[in-house]
Amino acid sequence: MSSGLSSLSSSDELDNFNPRTSPTTPPKPLEEELASLALTLPRPELLSDQEDVNVVSDGSAADGFGFGIQRSDEESRVGVVCEENVVGNSAAAVVVEGETGNSVREGIDGTGVVWGRTNSEIEVDRPVSPSSSGYAGERGSSGASSGRSEMDGIADDEIQELNDDVSVGDNSNSVHSWVPGKRHGDEDDASISWRKRKKHFFVLSHSGKPIYSRYGDEHKLAGFSASLQAIISFVEDGGDRVKWVRAGKHLVVFLVKGPIYLVCISCTEEPYESLRGQLELIYGQMILILTKSVNRCFERNPKFDMTSLLGGTDVVFSSLIHSFGWNPATFLHAYTCLPLAYGTRQAAGAILQDVADSGILFAILMCKHKVISLVGAQKASLHPDDMLLLANFVMSSESFRTSESFSPICLPRYNPMAFLYAYVHYFDANTYFMLLTTNSDSFYHLKECRIRIETVLLKSNVLSEVQRSMLDGGMHVEDVPVDSLPRYRTISPHLGQQRVPSEFTERFKESSAGMGGPGGLWHFIYRSIYLDQYVASEFSSPISSRQQQKRLYRAYQNIYDSMHDKEIGPHKTQFRRDENYVLLCWVTQDFELYAAFDPLADKAMAIKICNRVCQWIKDVENEVFLLGASPFSW
Amino acid sequence: MGLSTATTSVSEAIQLCVFDSRRGQQEGQELDKILFFYPADLPFTKQLYIIGLSEGLITFTRTFSPEAACEVIEAEKHSHVFFEAEQDIWMILVVEKNKELEAIWRMDALQKLLKEIHSLFLMFHGSIRLLLEKEPTGEASRSHLYSFITDYLNACEKRSALDRCCCDFLVGKKLQLPSFVDCLKERGTVQMLTIGRDAAIEVQALVRTLDSCIGNASCHSLILFQDLLVSTTLSPDDTTNLFSYAVLRLTPRVLSSGTSSWSYLIRGNAASHVAQHGGNVGNRVIRPLQHGKWSKGKDGFLETDIWGMGASGWVGSTPKICLFQTEEQMYLYVYQNKSLTLILLVPVSSVPNEELGISIVRQHILENASLKIMKVEETLSKGWGGENAYHVGGYRYLLVDGDRQVSRASPPGKVTTLAKESLLAMSKLREKVDLEKSRAKQDSVDEEKELEVTIRAKNNAWAISRITRGKELYMVLEKANETLLYASDMVEKFSNRYCNGAFSLD
Repeated sequence: MSSGLSSLSSSDELDNFNPRTSPTTPPKPLEEELASLALTLPRPELLSDQEDVNVVSDGSAADGFGFGIQRSDEESRVGVVCEENVVGNSAAAVVVEGETGNSVREGIDGTGVVWGRTNSEIEVDRPVSPSSSGYAGERGSSGASSGRSEMDGIADDEIQELNDDVSVGDNSNSVHSWVPGKRHGDEDDASISWRKRKKHFFVLSHSGKPIYSRYGDEHKLAGFSASLQAIISFVEDGGDRVKWVRAGKHLVVFLVKGPIYLVCISCTEEPYESLRGQLELIYGQMILILTKSVNRCFERNPKFDMTSLLGGTDVVFSSLIHSFGWNPATFLHAYTCLPLAYGTRQAAGAILQDVADSGILFAILMCKHKVISLVGAQKASLHPDDMLLLANFVMSSESFRTSESFSPICLPRYNPMAFLYAYVHYFDANTYFMLLTTNSDSFYHLKECRIRIETVLLKSNVLSEVQRSMLDGGMHVEDVPVDSLPRYRTISPHLGQQRVPSEFTERFKESSAGMGGPGGLWHFIYRSIYLDQYVASEFSSPISSRQQQKRLYRAYQNIYDSMHDKEIGPHKTQFRRDENYVLLCWVTQDFELYAAFDPLADKAMAIKICNRVCQWIKDVENEVFLLGASPFSW
Repeated sequence: MGLSTATTSVSEAIQLCVFDSRRGQQEGQELDKILFFYPADLPFTKQLYIIGLSEGLITFTRTFSPEAACEVIEAEKHSHVFFEAEQDIWMILVVEKNKELEAIWRMDALQKLLKEIHSLFLMFHGSIRLLLEKEPTGEASRSHLYSFITDYLNACEKRSALDRCCCDFLVGKKLQLPSFVDCLKERGTVQMLTIGRDAAIEVQALVRTLDSCIGNASCHSLILFQDLLVSTTLSPDDTTNLFSYAVLRLTPRVLSSGTSSWSYLIRGNAASHVAQHGGNVGNRVIRPLQHGKWSKGKDGFLETDIWGMGASGWVGSTPKICLFQTEEQMYLYVYQNKSLTLILLVPVSSVPNEELGISIVRQHILENASLKIMKVEETLSKGWGGENAYHVGGYRYLLVDGDRQVSRASPPGKVTTLAKESLLAMSKLREKVDLEKSRAKQDSVDEEKELEVTIRAKNNAWAISRITRGKELYMVLEKANETLLYASDMVEKFSNRYCNGAFSLD
């Protein structure tokens, strides 16, 4: 009973706890499967307390269908015992929360959903231990532990007026850690601060019940949620479907997915298609957690309250939303690889292939959001969006880090209706390994596979190569070859090459001293169409702060959007110069190149540099891309 | 309500309404909000639906964007374009998207259309709010708006044979609004005639003569050659409004085109509606946009009975307009000599009575200015390069000077040679640029937007946009070479040759 949060997250207990969904469990009905999610969701120590479970079953009784823990098998009892352990602790935390602010009123609401949310707040408020900040140093920084105040300072899309302060703060330190989780949970639509947030995301049910809100308390936003629902249904009544509404700098984007409505309200100047894509990803993330079968709950009871099913997943959504500001995969619909010597990646692939033949659908070895190697069973292919969502789910959930886990997940692009089972294991702080299978009781088999793989990976030095690549970083714009001679080189430890001092080089160097790469090149993204992969350069000094990077990504999103117009696109080339950048974009049948230059860059030079970048990438493609993976047939 | 519900079904492809959100706030009174609705015979439930949706979103978006109101609702089948003409008085244009390519709109172009309607309305009738205050039942406002907007929409006739889409909104029973094919045009701007130094001096002298026609009173004048502006002494806003009106109703081309393009059927309908509204008010509704109401008199002055036909010919019948900024009432006199149209504005306050006014002006023109007018006309005609005077081989362009509200574009006949894909690419590019311009405006930073975008579209055409120091250049190059540098070079040459290097990079 007295085991606290910390003791529960120790790997020993979780080892027993996690495989709970495995062996001998007979195929479960949907409701049970969904209910069990509350137990398998990230950080089980935090969210699957008894309140939660009870409440879910209360709610479902009221809703008229049996939810909750009615399983009689041994496994689930074990789970329940564990949960009981948590109760005391979590309840205590709830009281504290109540005192400090907002959860008292929610408690009175009487809807059980409250607890799930309150828990997630505890999560955010919990001091961050250095080892647990999975998002620390997304771009290679190792400065993991920054305080809460800093976190708030750089939180994504803060209030507009704070912008200046934020950038001032940013200049001092280039990369802050970012911790997922709900912010500003005390706000609602009456708060001025809430209204001024730059980017809101809402998920609601077709009856207007709130399911998720990025900022503020879902329950206090019930009225607001109802007005969103009213807008959507009013337009539907008129025989139409609303896509977006614009007012000044604000864009309100609507997405209807069956009984689930998603809305984004943004003044970030991102175009409609980008924001819509982000809503699609949020929906996909929801499907990844629940499968599309959740629709059936709404069929049975239109007023079904989905929040309970998503309890504790705030971190997953907030980290996904955060990634919209830094991860190009969110709009490119491609994945990226950790740069590795060709042989190393081949070795990793061979090991994965070995186990993949034994009833495994996908075997994926990743380092943060970058793929090391990936193998699929015959004919099975993984959509980059699914990869993004899966990686986000795993990385944002603390529990996966602490021990091996076995969790039902759904790949929305693979099959939105069915759960797969993911075996997840971290080899080190950033490198993790996933095995996906359709078989719900293969935990022990997968565990064995993992042990085998781990042994080989260690022996063949793949993991240490991964560590090295992490330290070295990827492609640096400063290393763009500036002489036209073809070069064949190994990239380790750096993707660059020894620069040959030539007249040409010197000229470039002069023009770009301390300002990124040659010709004023600041950054580039290269996307290979056939491989469904992209490679982005590391950020150079002119775009070192978080704000600058985010602004650049938004500029990329805008240019991507204008290149890929649904009616007339894709365009072939675009050159764009504004007060911030020169952007050059080039779309061919084989690749897309997006490059950002100093706004004063010379046009002819910029074109030349882009050609160099493309050549450079071709030269090192077997190190920056995963070649020979089964083509993605989407 | 004064709005009749006819049984005939009118195409719902386009709806235009004007409503006052201050009115009809009590349940059951909602109809009172509606000041204008096209088509008028759309069932009230549908009219109220549009207004309900609009009001709902206006309120909703204010939560997040109190400083900038709702502008567009984009749905799968329709686009709703908003324009807050006056405080709480909204104009909403709903356009249906259909599979035809033509139904692709640029929002800013549609908004400018609403703005033009309202600006012209202000010029002739004053503000809608004022009308509503004078007569709270709203009857007068409704009948004014009804005839005005109907005349605007229905009776707009062709500006020129080649300029098909510019103003010819009514094709059959369908209104045709500016779509992507009009992407190299800018509504709400004036097109100027380029004149040489000598001609400019002559024009200058003429302007001085005209503006002093009534002693010390501050008169204003506007001179047009064909459909192009030669000179103005008005503010940019007033110039734009009067210019639009002149091109719609006063220039020789319009007067000579007669009523051939004028649909009898529509006129019949409009007339009956007006009779209905007008009758109730007991106050004659002036319809300045009514077609075919202006004609040239023997003395060169244009005459009309729009403002009524007084017993003695002119009493109570001199056209009057209201200036935009000063709100000063002005008498409007129009004199024409061949291709030259002179518009004279005389403050109402400076003329003791209408009859005297016209006679003074007439006498002044005939005695002091007629020679100068003839001379200017002759000079300008000599230098006039014809319809394609502003065509530049190899280029399809639009140049806009936002500060002066002036634009110049490739002749419409040349623009139509472009492929649909090219026009579409340009239209989409403009849509993006419009957005960035409006954001820059909202940021209200002193520095003006600087932007250069060059796109090579799928069909290999180049769509180019440059914005610098308040000037905008849009260009479509279809037969240009492959390289970006070549396209940039084309722009550079154009800029140096025709824009005094305004868009040149060095």
